Amino acid sequence: MNQNALKIAVYGKGGIGKSTICSALSLALAERGLKVMQIGCDPKADSTMSLRAGRRLPTVLATMRERKDDFSLEDVCLEGAGGVICVEAGGPLPGLGCAGRGIITALEKLKAKGVYGRYSPDAVIYDVLGDVVCGGFSMPMRSGFADRVYIVTSGENMSIYAAANIASAVRNFGERGYAALGGFILNRRDVENEREKVLALCGDFDSEITGELPLSEKIREAEARGKSFMELFPKSEEAECVRALSRAIFT
Amino acid sequence: MRQVTGLTSTYSSDEFGICSALFELGGLVVMHDASGCNSTYTTHDEPRWYDMDSMVYISAVSEIEAIMGDDDKLIRDVVSAARELKPRFTALIGAPIPYMIGTDLPAVAGIVEEETGIPSIGFPANGMGLYTKGISMALAAVTERFAQGETGRSREPSMNVIGLTPLDFSLNGTAESIWRWAEALGFRRGACMAMGSSLDEISRAGEAHVNLVVSYGGLEAARILERRYGTPWIAGVPFGKAFAERLGQLVLEAAGTGGREMAAYRSVPRAGAAGRDPAPNPARDAARGKESPLLVVGESVYSASFAAAVELELNIPTRVLCPVDTEDVLLREGDRRTPEEDDLIEAFRGAERVAADPLFRQLVPETAEFFDLPHEAFSGRIYDRVNRNMVDVPLDGFIFGGTKAPRGKGPRG
Repeated sequence: MNQNALKIAVYGKGGIGKSTICSALSLALAERGLKVMQIGCDPKADSTMSLRAGRRLPTVLATMRERKDDFSLEDVCLEGAGGVICVEAGGPLPGLGCAGRGIITALEKLKAKGVYGRYSPDAVIYDVLGDVVCGGFSMPMRSGFADRVYIVTSGENMSIYAAANIASAVRNFGERGYAALGGFILNRRDVENEREKVLALCGDFDSEITGELPLSEKIREAEARGKSFMELFPKSEEAECVRALSRAIFT
Repeated sequence: MRQVTGLTSTYSSDEFGICSALFELGGLVVMHDASGCNSTYTTHDEPRWYDMDSMVYISAVSEIEAIMGDDDKLIRDVVSAARELKPRFTALIGAPIPYMIGTDLPAVAGIVEEETGIPSIGFPANGMGLYTKGISMALAAVTERFAQGETGRSREPSMNVIGLTPLDFSLNGTAESIWRWAEALGFRRGACMAMGSSLDEISRAGEAHVNLVVSYGGLEAARILERRYGTPWIAGVPFGKAFAERLGQLVLEAAGTGGREMAAYRSVPRAGAAGRDPAPNPARDAARGKESPLLVVGESVYSASFAAAVELELNIPTRVLCPVDTEDVLLREGDRRTPEEDDLIEAFRGAERVAADPLFRQLVPETAEFFDLPHEAFSGRIYDRVNRNMVDVPLDGFIFGGTKAPRGKGPRG
């Protein structure tokens, strides 16, 4: 595998825009000539949809359920826009099984099959479900997976509470040698004193705002059309914000 | 039906394989699971329990600790016990509960080590894997962690034996017989992983000229020693006169040239192959007339060595059926992995001769001859009275000497 590959995990409250930002970030990195792998860690398996024009791909867990170990990486790692390698961990049926355990199993299976050596990515982005609700959702930040954690938040109170909860988990795991907190990504909702509130959050964790995106009609439109705004509006202010974010994370 | 064992038993689990491999090494071994698992291990899978001291414990994780992911309680308990007992190392072993809640035992072990200064290892077992995987994990981890540092070869030729546990070899004298065989070849005793050797002896495993792998559980540790010290390994158990001689030749060659890694039985030609001309033997020749092979069921190195010994000495065709973890390099062509009970039922259909743990009699046709090869990891102590050291048993006596197991005496009989 690429020993210099940077692996990050992106967390944040449900619906805050993690998958939108991850996919845009993947495309921004691909523009720079980097080989990128994006791994969705959410039972909904919708992290990479905008990179694949709305088409879903076979999840790791569904494939394991159907074929046990009798499958290859090519069955679950499909190329999307910009040559980004798209993977979805998947999960159990809603209301059944254990989603957290599923994330662990999927990531361990990918590793056991040598995914990082096979594709040798320069950057790996783990797009993780809303919150660190159980042991499984801390898997992407464990030793051997992500190096840094980025948390997406707006200035809305619920989003900030969730972000603080995740940041606390990252801090608590420090003695275990897990990923460090890389910073917060502000996805603006234009609430009052938004930036100040998120800066206060950063202060609590001795961190910073790594990048930010505006509240945007273009992003909504791109989502409705099943593509990333990086593809549809590559010269937009929003796309420039993501490029700046990519430079801040992957220097 | 797949993944169902309806007629026989199940093999010991990965967590117990780890416990068995670490039992004699002076470590504080903690299964992280609900209370009760320790008695299953000590009652059914650990024949040394009442005669030998060992620090094997259960964390007795409670419902609320599991729900809350209270790793701190485990850390506090292990740190406290380690400070009191002063073990050589601590081992934290996963089980179904920590598996389901995603406990990161290697990370927890790291914290224990940080707090106590005692080497600590976390094992991601889950109670659903087989004992073979557990032994492999444990011996590999011990080798990786403790058998390191610069060392030269011993002055006199020496041999390590790797993968020896009561789960595959019981306490019936097999271990001592293997050492006697090695000494007769001119080898000094090296380390045994892991019966009869201390952790200090294992830490000097790099001094040996050759490693004898006696089960799948020893393969990964042997590979680590090969990478680290260039020590060659040969897999096999010295059953029968002819196979023991052949194994001895290969081990001597490997120790001399330092460059051969193989399972000794893989080069044994199948019975009936051209060029084979064993001495006349009426009982053997009568058996040879039968075309159906002797099916040998069990752990791969043990069973394939036994099968090769039977073929070499008695010219009786054999096939190995391996229900537990193994690799192709440890099987001969024509041997099969049979992880499911259904696989065995299918393989036994029409069989005329089977050598296996007595619990498998339930699956074998009434008309077939059945030869007892009790396997501790499968039937525990049930068949202790007929569990013999097969290294010292003459093969023709076993196959033709009236030791056929009586029918209908199994658990359902």
